[in-house]
Amino acid sequence: MMAGVGGGNDFQWCFSQVKGAIDEDVAEADIISTVEFNYSGELLATGDKGGRVVIFQREQESKNRLLSRGEYNVYSTFQSHEPEFDYLKSLEIEEKINKIRWLPQQNAAHFLLSANDKTIKLWKISERDKRAEGYNLKDEDGRLRDQFRITTLRVPVLMPMDLMVEASPRRIFANAHTYHINSISVNSDYETYLSADDLRINLWHLEITDRSFNIVDIKPANMEELTEVITAAECHPHQCNVFVYSSSKGTIRLCDMRAAALCDRHSKFFEEPEDPSSRSFFSEIISSISDVKFSHSGRYMMTRDYLSVKVWDLNMENRPVETYQVHEYLRSKLCSLYENDCIFDKFECCWNGSDSAIMTGSYNNFFRMFDRNTRRDITLEASRENSKPRAMLKPRKVCTGGKRKKDEISVDSLDFNKKILHTAWHPKENVIAVAATNNLYIFQDKIN
Amino acid sequence: MVARGQKRKLHREDEGRGSARESQLQSVLDISMDKFLRDQALVEPCLLRSVLINNTLRQVQSEVRAQVESLSAVKIPMKLKPEPDFTQLSPPAEHNASLSSPNAENTEDDFMVWTSEEDFSLSSAISAILKDLDAVIDAGQGPCASQRAPLRSVENLTPCPPRTERTSAVASSAKTELMCPGRPQDAALDKLLLDIDPSVFEPELNLLQGFSVTADDLVKYLPSLSKSPSASSSSSLVSNGQAMWEIQEIEHVMDILMRTYPQS
Repeated sequence: MMAGVGGGNDFQWCFSQVKGAIDEDVAEADIISTVEFNYSGELLATGDKGGRVVIFQREQESKNRLLSRGEYNVYSTFQSHEPEFDYLKSLEIEEKINKIRWLPQQNAAHFLLSANDKTIKLWKISERDKRAEGYNLKDEDGRLRDQFRITTLRVPVLMPMDLMVEASPRRIFANAHTYHINSISVNSDYETYLSADDLRINLWHLEITDRSFNIVDIKPANMEELTEVITAAECHPHQCNVFVYSSSKGTIRLCDMRAAALCDRHSKFFEEPEDPSSRSFFSEIISSISDVKFSHSGRYMMTRDYLSVKVWDLNMENRPVETYQVHEYLRSKLCSLYENDCIFDKFECCWNGSDSAIMTGSYNNFFRMFDRNTRRDITLEASRENSKPRAMLKPRKVCTGGKRKKDEISVDSLDFNKKILHTAWHPKENVIAVAATNNLYIFQDKIN
Repeated sequence: MVARGQKRKLHREDEGRGSARESQLQSVLDISMDKFLRDQALVEPCLLRSVLINNTLRQVQSEVRAQVESLSAVKIPMKLKPEPDFTQLSPPAEHNASLSSPNAENTEDDFMVWTSEEDFSLSSAISAILKDLDAVIDAGQGPCASQRAPLRSVENLTPCPPRTERTSAVASSAKTELMCPGRPQDAALDKLLLDIDPSVFEPELNLLQGFSVTADDLVKYLPSLSKSPSASSSSSLVSNGQAMWEIQEIEHVMDILMRTYPQS
């Protein structure tokens, strides 16, 4: 096991913080729908079903409080998207935030993109800690001064004030998606970004909101012939002309924007041949890729399907180089999971900063980590019961059959309503954020 | 000839496996149809979900067809016939499957006496159901009904979507059959159901010595034969599901008849 042994590359994950209500009754609007660290890891953003964005900032470590080791506290909260109504189609557009992506920081302000099903917004988050005092034409409370009373001229002075964090929408990228947006990805040129829905991928310029380029379109002439949709897309971390998109049939296509304006024809096609012995009615559904992420190095990419995580070498299209089983014990339960819709759950996955480990979520508030070098894996749980400060997390185990050992949990006892779909790993340190329904857990490595 | 008891024992083991697969097939079909119908009721169902459910339904459909084909091709019910390999799902039929003509490869020396017109009439009844099912869906692809297909609900629809160019009737029906929304097809369905003549089963009943299965009992296995389709626009979808169940029930009946018929 990865934890508790110590030494080498072993992690020892400890509870750090939990954000969110303790209430048993979870309000639908409070369910976290996306989690993302910014490029430095100083800021951690969450989006929820109610269309709100909450940004946490890491406190500077001070000599006095060595043990606190940089806690995340609320930095800014704002309503990013509101529910809308499409009158033309009589459709309600959910305000749920599907994705948040940070832009690299270029000045004192922070910028992020947030997307719901139809619209992407660019938000500027800036700090204000000074204000001007001593205006000539108005009083301190803002009321206009009587002109006849003004006898002198003075220069306003900047005075310190309590820190105020303001979030303002700088761009709204709308009306470009007929279908539901599932991904946004900032390009390495820091000028463009892509947005993907079920059937199309668009390329935007961050400065231009009234038009975008459509670069992928898989919509058939007759919708009744549709058998495959786009499930995720991402730009290459270094090559600004390369991006990938995954499909509901378990395939990944890598496209080069230099090849053609429309990237309907892929440059590379990644697909693992099917194992005939494990074929079932649910083979296609469980092969549907729910997330795709490039490694930081840009040499690999990782895909998440229902039961596993696969690491692909971009130079090898015919099979992944590594496959990790997340919860293979669910394979015999697929019919029930199909019936209760759990089979359609979209789990995300993430790399650590050095690409040596990967993490993804599961049910019962379990999440899994895999060390790519040692091939060891661990299952941990995000729960209030393990939420004592700096308490080390105990590895969890699911009993698949036979005698259940102490501390093991049987497959039938798993709570499928407690699902961890969204996780994030600090880009530089061993700090992870795990979203469990309406709570955000932050864990840190003890040897951090 | 192999001893009767040995054959029967192996047949029963195969039966157990086969019925487990059949029950899973039935479960998946029921669940998929339920989800499909529920999603149809939504104004804007999730496209990914719709596609996955539709693809699953197609798989089930081709599995059912494969079963029916393999069963109708059996000329010797009691002979050791390998069960259709359920672990290998048959690919969607790209060609017209002909069920009514006897499969020449299956001719064996020790034919069952019962392989006669009744057998052909049953298998032809099954093939008629399948072909008529296709025809019904194809025929329904005319002027569109007010109900929109789930996969098209997000589009600004033109009043009459263009007809698909089809290379083969079966291939197209495999694609469009279960994705077609409810359309008024009562007349076609009536014709379909009337084609199945319950009297086809009656000659076999005379041969079932010592069994208390009556004509009424057998007809119970085919409940949809006695019902007339409702006038609601979603009936055709339900009837499609019913047609599947009819096929299932016919298979089940065939099974009973084959199993209980004495060997020569």
